[in-house]
Amino acid sequence: MKIFQKIQSLDRRYVYLVVALAIIVPLLIPFNSRIDTTEPTENVYQMIDSFAGKPDKAILMNFSHNASTMAELFPMEVSILRHCFERNVKVFTLCFYPDTAPLVDYAINTAKEDFDNIKSGENYCNFGYKPIGLFLPILLGMGENIAEAVETDAEGRKLENLLIMEGIQNYDDLNLIVDFSASGSVFSWITYARVKFGANVAAGITAVMAADNYPYLQSGQLIGMLAGIKGAAEYEKLVDVFAAYEDVDFPNGREFSKEIIKEENVPITGNYEIYGNKIPYKFKKARIGMNAQTVAHLMIIIFILLGNIGYFVNRKKGGLK
Amino acid sequence: MKRQIPLMIVITLGFLFVGHTFIPHKYSVDFYDWFVSWSKAISPFAVVLGVMSLWMVHGTKITRKAPNWQYSIVTLTALIFTAFAGFMWGTNEGTPFMWLFKNVQLPMSATMFSLLAFYISSAAYKAFRARSPEATVLLIAGIIVMLGQVPIGAMISKWIPETATWILNVPNLAAKRGIMTGVGLGMVATSLKILLGIERTYLGGGD
Repeated sequence: MKIFQKIQSLDRRYVYLVVALAIIVPLLIPFNSRIDTTEPTENVYQMIDSFAGKPDKAILMNFSHNASTMAELFPMEVSILRHCFERNVKVFTLCFYPDTAPLVDYAINTAKEDFDNIKSGENYCNFGYKPIGLFLPILLGMGENIAEAVETDAEGRKLENLLIMEGIQNYDDLNLIVDFSASGSVFSWITYARVKFGANVAAGITAVMAADNYPYLQSGQLIGMLAGIKGAAEYEKLVDVFAAYEDVDFPNGREFSKEIIKEENVPITGNYEIYGNKIPYKFKKARIGMNAQTVAHLMIIIFILLGNIGYFVNRKKGGLK
Repeated sequence: MKRQIPLMIVITLGFLFVGHTFIPHKYSVDFYDWFVSWSKAISPFAVVLGVMSLWMVHGTKITRKAPNWQYSIVTLTALIFTAFAGFMWGTNEGTPFMWLFKNVQLPMSATMFSLLAFYISSAAYKAFRARSPEATVLLIAGIIVMLGQVPIGAMISKWIPETATWILNVPNLAAKRGIMTGVGLGMVATSLKILLGIERTYLGGGD
């Protein structure tokens, strides 16, 4: 029974070591696992996809986080940008924190380097960094006139002169706002853009914040949600299966279908005819991250169970009160 | 006067903004537009204030050789170097600023956040015990949600992700909504107290 006493007093550095290995090894040696998509993620995908090829519809991606939460949020940002570029959806980006501005550039550059015909000011527009003091004036101002509220993009160009602004006036046209954050910043978009102007709002959030958003999902104030690296992995799969899909019958991607996504499994390793090694590493980062998350969750559960077994055995022996 | 003038500004502007929200009159809209143009002009001063404050705090630490003053040198050097890189070569892809972001800021921030995984694991192992019926329910719910969030949960049983979704959609949602309603009512009450001049702690001074 000494083993259970040892389990109870195990040095935490061993726990750290096991967790480190549980995360690092799956990242270095990826394996295929099945990713099942959920409705909140599918809803975001379907709404963005419904804007495909429409010059009078666009989405806004608001980056409300810094580099610390990139592991979870960056893959979903890149996936949504890739989706927009694949399906010719106008996309705007915005941030209100100075250290987020390079992150926006990084995400756009990562997604667009595979697309030769994507141009700033035509297919996408980065509004750039705006001081947080202007958050509310810009958020409310965009409900009336985006070009007047934001004025210039990240390159200092007047919005009203940009080709992308043709047909885009306010939230009636910029009809989906996706807020990426590790905090509750999406609530401001719900309170003002959703309630006052009827804009559709979706959230891309870290897993720890997901639980806070379920009331808004149920009420319909959030049209969808990408929660943590799982949400990012689901979106990566959706883009691979539909938007980036190419064959003789579907040269420019195919429409979303519940049946197809339920059956289709996208391998991220090995040589496969359609997917496999053809997907660039940057577009399967979240799915590789899911491998690490799977092993890490299992390890934490095993630790909890071991800790409890030790606790009950010792209690039975009278070792613990 | 030192307290009464700020109080009057808060109360007057507070009521004006409440009026703007509920009364879409031309005067109200004009007032709001005027205020927005002022806030645009004021915002850059906050950056200057921030840099000055950072410089004064760390400068004082260095001159007084306060404990860990060496870290203050690192902070100020980083501030100067990053700002210089941004002003000199811009912030686009391929510039020194972007290199700093990708190779310094990004890994450091991610490292700090990743420590959470180690602390959670250690805390779960050391403290997550089924000591009472409530703790047992929490423990089981936690394990189901953790398994439901990863592909292996569905491989073990299709009920695991379904139960995890139910936990998030029903008990979690009910609790969150209750908390949010309470917080909302509290915010309304506090805002009213500030508008009516009853709540004055934000002015400092203690009374």
